[in-house]
Amino acid sequence: MAVCLFSSCRQEINFKSGDPVFKQGDNPSWAKKDFDAKGWTTERGNTGDNIFWVRAKVNLAEKPVGLLGLKLEAFGAFDVYWDGQLIGKNGKVVSSEAEVPGTATSYYPIPDTLATLGNHVIALRASQSSYQQTQRSVGIYLNTYESLIKAPLVATSFMHLMAGAFLIAAIYYLFLFINSRKRQYTVLIFAVICLLFFALLILEYIKFYVEIPYTHFFLRLESIGWLTFTLSILVPLYFAIQFKFRWKKMFLLLLFAILIAIYVLNFRHYDITAIYYSLVMWIGSGIVVFYGIFKRERGAIIVLIGLFLRILLNEYLYYDMSLFISFAIIVLCMLYLHTIQMKVVENDYHSSLLLSSKLQLELIKKNIQPHFIKNTLTSLMDWVEESPKEGSAFIQALADEFDIMNNIAEQVLIPIRQEIELCKKHISVMQFRKEINYQWEEHGIDENENIPPALLHTILENGITHSSPLDDGTMKFKLTFITEANYKQYVFETFGHNRVKIKERDGGNGFTYIKARLTESFGNNWELTSAESSNGWLTTIKIYTK
Amino acid sequence: MRVLIIEDEARIARRLQRMANDFFEQNSTVSICDSVQKGIAFLEQNEIDLLLLDLNLNGENGFDLLESVVSRSFHTVIVSANADRAIKAFEYGVLDFVPKPFDETRLNQAFKRITSNTKTTDEQLKYLAVKKAGNIRLIDLDELLYIKGAGIYSELHLRNGKQELHDKSLESLAQLLPPAFERIHKSYLVSLALAEKIIIEPGSKYSLQLKNGAQLPIGRSKYKELKEKII
Repeated sequence: MAVCLFSSCRQEINFKSGDPVFKQGDNPSWAKKDFDAKGWTTERGNTGDNIFWVRAKVNLAEKPVGLLGLKLEAFGAFDVYWDGQLIGKNGKVVSSEAEVPGTATSYYPIPDTLATLGNHVIALRASQSSYQQTQRSVGIYLNTYESLIKAPLVATSFMHLMAGAFLIAAIYYLFLFINSRKRQYTVLIFAVICLLFFALLILEYIKFYVEIPYTHFFLRLESIGWLTFTLSILVPLYFAIQFKFRWKKMFLLLLFAILIAIYVLNFRHYDITAIYYSLVMWIGSGIVVFYGIFKRERGAIIVLIGLFLRILLNEYLYYDMSLFISFAIIVLCMLYLHTIQMKVVENDYHSSLLLSSKLQLELIKKNIQPHFIKNTLTSLMDWVEESPKEGSAFIQALADEFDIMNNIAEQVLIPIRQEIELCKKHISVMQFRKEINYQWEEHGIDENENIPPALLHTILENGITHSSPLDDGTMKFKLTFITEANYKQYVFETFGHNRVKIKERDGGNGFTYIKARLTESFGNNWELTSAESSNGWLTTIKIYTK
Repeated sequence: MRVLIIEDEARIARRLQRMANDFFEQNSTVSICDSVQKGIAFLEQNEIDLLLLDLNLNGENGFDLLESVVSRSFHTVIVSANADRAIKAFEYGVLDFVPKPFDETRLNQAFKRITSNTKTTDEQLKYLAVKKAGNIRLIDLDELLYIKGAGIYSELHLRNGKQELHDKSLESLAQLLPPAFERIHKSYLVSLALAEKIIIEPGSKYSLQLKNGAQLPIGRSKYKELKEKII
């Protein structure tokens, strides 16, 4: 669409313009068509605050359909003459008062009577009291007046449409960043990129509908330059983060150094600077994208295609256009990458929810899995048959353990005291089953601490299963809690004989449960060790607080 | 009756011991081991008639033990919480599977199977475990041609012509094998599915011809019953 748009905007009418010539001074007869500008210079020279004249020849080879229009790109304030006839003014030329600066681009309709085929002379009575040193040439273009006015506005409207989309994206992603629980800096960077790109588009096209006096002409270019500069760093940075580029810092420094070098080397050559900037951005992104493809990152191929589209666009489009459209394509690629990222986050969230409910289930299953419940019931049957009084004590202990289990089943963290109670109840149940004298000891417990449910219970179960009692028929469990500057630690000791294993003891399902619970509550800030000790078995849970 | 109980739950082990003592009354010695290792060690040193085995012992899988115990001469009864594994246990050749929790009636029912010759289970044996050079090999019943008694052992004659020795007596195997296996002679057990015809030889000698051509003698007392089943 953009390609069609731009080929249609460039409908030129057939004309030739000669190089403009300058002369300092002020003489109304210099406006005349047949005046001989012999001795006039091709440069304005140092005109200071004075009035000077510019003359240029144009040849109109074909009469346009409709009103002929003239577009001038020149600095200063000037009156415009077409074959000696005043056709318009741009600002107010220095006279008795100070100069009122004109706009850098101005448009003039040319009356039909003057728009004849053949040679014409355009003369400007001008002054340039600002930017006196800037030797800017005078650009002369002819077209139908309607096209001159309308075409840039049509282009502008389309580009603004694009700008609006990026503004919305910027706002949306900014809100997303502010309101998301986990602050993702790629989201913020993306929001900033969208905002800067919006600003870039607006600034680029603002000249067609806001009258900018030539005195402020460079302000806009300078702003565009810095916007491009920032984007040329942010875009590769965004890709570098998304594709987990290894040498991010060095890469950023290098990018920055190159961009600064471009700025210094091409100082005040705004267009060329912008081209080089965007080239750096393109190459920088390319390097990161190739890295991403090498590392098989998702979305890397799509971005590469986006980057290559730019080459294609450069072939067919005028520079500005191709820059902005390829920029837009890159931002779209980023948007695509971002949605991939969101999908990953969403999946992570769902799987964490899934994990939590799986852990809940695991906890509930502990007391109904056949090995526990059937063995307990069998022992219970025996107690009831053999000594009913003890049997009812057993039932009570079992009921108490179930009660605690029921209370903690849906929690992610429970008070340490509740966990210890659970362990003690389990011990009394197991005592009825195993007929071993189990003992519980605790040291340094901080009652304000919380712990994932059934963590110690699981370690206790392992101890009961994998150890046999000491020679005096007892087995002791000792829980010790310590707090250090950057961690807290539970040490769970089992005093007993370790049973000889047919297969290596790895903790099995119990440890999977403990690890999953620790990750659920503490992320990666924990450590679990479990090993044989001189007394029996030693399990340590370390939770880092810093 | 020499009984070994391998059970890690002390209370349940004592319950089993009490009930076994009550059932077998005189001449019964009941021993208890609370782990797989102790059980294996005990079996290496002692001869027993019956093993009561739990399948989940201190976190160890009792099935690892099952393969080796079913190859032995004694019968095995599983007493386990994992009722879902009963079918698999029967496939390996256990006499009964008593799910926990159990009462005296149910356990006695299992004990009765040892003394009776009738098959009471619907579950099908699938493999016969034989010990060979220290390893246990599971023989699929489909590989089996017939079984010949050899004193306290049995010879398994396989379809591929090979023979394996099983530690269980022909009587014990007959209790475990599916109904299709018929005792045709005091020394022969054969699957009737493989029977071709009955050959009557002079001197009222009978023999059974199998599909592969092999001929096995038929006990005089078994002939009538067999004839009805084959025709």
